[in-house]
Amino acid sequence: MTVLPRFKSAILATALLASTATFAMAKDVTISVWAGGTGPTNDYRIEAIKMAADVVSRQAKIRGEDLTIKIESQTWTGWDDFKQAVTLAAESGKAPNIIVSGHEDIGPWSQSGLLRPIEDYVDFDAWPLNQLYPNLIDVSSYDGRIWGIPQDAEARPFFFSKAHLKAIGYSDADIEALPAKVESGEYTLYSMLDDAKKMQDAKVVEPGKGFMPRPNNGTDYWQFYQSFGGEMADAESGKLVLDRQALTGMYQFFVDAVEKGVVPATYLGTTWDTWHQAVAGDKAGIWHGGTWHKAEWEAKWGLKDFFGQMQYSLIPAGNEKGRANTITHPLVYLLSTGGSDEDATLAAELITTASEPYINALHAVKSGHLAIGSAEASIPFYANDRWTTAATEGLLPKANAIPNNSDFGVVWKAMYKGLETSWTRTNSVADAVKAVETEVRNALGDKIVIR
Amino acid sequence: MVLLLGFFFLPVVLTSVFAFTNMSTATGISGGSYVVTGNLLRSLKDEGLDAKTIDALGQSSYVIDQAGLEKAHAAGVDARFITEIAERLKDRSFTSSTAFERELKTLPSRPTRVRDLKIAAGAFEQSVLNVRYASRGEMEAALTHMLENPPEGAIEKVATASYTGWTWTTENFKNLVITPDTWRIIGNTVFYVVLTLAFNVLVGLFLAITTFYLPPAGSGFFSVLWLLPRITPVVLYAVMWKWFTWEDGFVFNIAQDLGLPAFNYMKGSVASAWTVVILVNGFVGASFGMILFSGALKAIPVQQLWASEVDGASRWQQIRYIILPHMRWPILFVTSYQTLSLLSSYEQIWLTTNGGPGSTTTVWALEAFKTALNNYTGNLQYGLGAAMALILVAVGLILSIVYLRLFRFDEMMSKPKIEF
Repeated sequence: MTVLPRFKSAILATALLASTATFAMAKDVTISVWAGGTGPTNDYRIEAIKMAADVVSRQAKIRGEDLTIKIESQTWTGWDDFKQAVTLAAESGKAPNIIVSGHEDIGPWSQSGLLRPIEDYVDFDAWPLNQLYPNLIDVSSYDGRIWGIPQDAEARPFFFSKAHLKAIGYSDADIEALPAKVESGEYTLYSMLDDAKKMQDAKVVEPGKGFMPRPNNGTDYWQFYQSFGGEMADAESGKLVLDRQALTGMYQFFVDAVEKGVVPATYLGTTWDTWHQAVAGDKAGIWHGGTWHKAEWEAKWGLKDFFGQMQYSLIPAGNEKGRANTITHPLVYLLSTGGSDEDATLAAELITTASEPYINALHAVKSGHLAIGSAEASIPFYANDRWTTAATEGLLPKANAIPNNSDFGVVWKAMYKGLETSWTRTNSVADAVKAVETEVRNALGDKIVIR
Repeated sequence: MVLLLGFFFLPVVLTSVFAFTNMSTATGISGGSYVVTGNLLRSLKDEGLDAKTIDALGQSSYVIDQAGLEKAHAAGVDARFITEIAERLKDRSFTSSTAFERELKTLPSRPTRVRDLKIAAGAFEQSVLNVRYASRGEMEAALTHMLENPPEGAIEKVATASYTGWTWTTENFKNLVITPDTWRIIGNTVFYVVLTLAFNVLVGLFLAITTFYLPPAGSGFFSVLWLLPRITPVVLYAVMWKWFTWEDGFVFNIAQDLGLPAFNYMKGSVASAWTVVILVNGFVGASFGMILFSGALKAIPVQQLWASEVDGASRWQQIRYIILPHMRWPILFVTSYQTLSLLSSYEQIWLTTNGGPGSTTTVWALEAFKTALNNYTGNLQYGLGAAMALILVAVGLILSIVYLRLFRFDEMMSKPKIEF
């Protein structure tokens, strides 16, 4: 070997070393995000994290760090498969860094060690988390700790077809006054059944389409339980509650609706497409859904004039024991225990940045969801949107949430099974209630108060 | 042998193990940890644990002492920051993390990242509340450290109650027996298995015999046609049934043209939903029966049929007195095999009616699958689902024995009486 090649080798080695040094300074991090219940109108659940990644990378660059954040995302339109995927992935140590799910998952997932409490990673005293609505923070908390950051909020209203109401004798003034009558308890679920029947009798809607409830399981059905005076958890002790009387009232209401002919006995299990087509196409009389449905109807189902076509209100009371109500079911950004603490720290930073009012407002307005904080509600882009503002002011203050409790899923599953069997008349209402009671009592013992 | 153990016995063994646990999403599968939480303290209070212990466990404080400073150092907190904490806050204590963190934020060398501040604060925390301990030993040590003169058995009681993982239980079976819904699902399952089985065997037999009498070219064509449900991927097959029976689908339009009630036949009525479920599975099973029966038919000595024709036997007499007696064993085999297979099948039902309308077409296997692995609330009850699956295994085993006895399979398998 001659000197020159040695010299060359030395230069080459130095160059190589230098290149690895540069490489070491540059940092590539991949953050994975999985979201359930996410379709084309609510893609900002993921897009917001991507925007946050851009902002955080720019901040790093200004600080002199070369940070590249890659976001790997996966979405599910439904919940069954999503929750199965998250749970099983976590069991096999492959959970995504960020999970976007319903707040009720915090209970079981925190117990099983699937989640990191987000309060250990973010500062709720600092912007933008210090302007989040306190009730949404409560919804994201469980057992004294804050586990998630609210991603959105919503309300689940009742909708009425204005044209069909007019066909059965409602004047414009009556239609305007309807939400207030619902709220005061004057207009009940049974008044609604009468109107739905009148619409069918007047032949403005087809038989069985007078009342079109949610076609499958969902938080919505707890609203009917509340309409008959039911409570899901005891406010003081936090214990789960099953109110047999309210459950009876609720099941009986749907049986009565079937008997009146305004909804078929075999209704549960109808597809979402059938439902959307009917309600957005003004083929249904009265129905209930979510604030976000407006965006879907406009984007996919040809709805042109929401305010001209539909009236909305709280879910009416069922009897004098119940109240008009609506449930908000915020989705939350959760941090999984997967990945390193360093990754979780970055993921938390992304979630915090994605909660910036300007970014979150993109999701709220596009998807018909509601603001997560006071600053967001005052952003003109959000505040000037008639629907979000109307829902934020008219519905959200009256909304409550389902409880965060690791055992609530058991009660929910039993409640819906009872609804299915009584609705389809497989069981009598009394037997269905008895079956729910037996099932939850066996499974939960004294963890639930049965009234 | 390893493959046999791995793929055949292991699932059964694991199902048996899971069935005797309360395993769920909340408990996790791979084991739990030990955590004292606010809810746990409330339920321990209800169970009669003394107030002093409850109070002591519920307290959380941050004390700036030497041990905390050392812990902070070990956790990698910046040395300058530790020095400032030591200089300015030594021997002070705080009752909440918020108050302590606010104080830390006033120090000049505070970290820029929130997480680093939280790690620093965490080093000074003196509490067992919400701390996850990996083992019972660690939890007991922490409890012993926290509690002064605890009542006898208190530490063991708290440690046991603080476990987040699954425990052994026989409650799953008890709950299944008590729950009225169990009997409804058993009824559905029996209805489904009996009717689908009858369809499988009768249609399979009918197809085999009719194609047997067809010219070979025609019979080949029909055999392939009837095999389509079996060779079509199950998801595609289910989607085709949806097109066929859905609103605005094939049956819907025909019914409308004929002035008959037109609705979603798959989900619109309980009777039509059951018909669809039975047909969907029935056609798949019928093709299976057809193949076996066709093979068996070919084994019948053709001379017997010729002889019968010479004697003037009609087609029906041939079937009744020659073919069916020869088909005894294949029919028994298809009956027993299909019973077991139908008992455990749920995928076609899941993909078509999904057990609806309501839960009227839900069978045992589908309910077990939904309980253990797939439901809207995400509350996966692995233990209860496994118990349901284990019952299915037991029923399958019992039925196998019954079939073996009833149909005397041992006789069929006995040595030939003629020696070659």
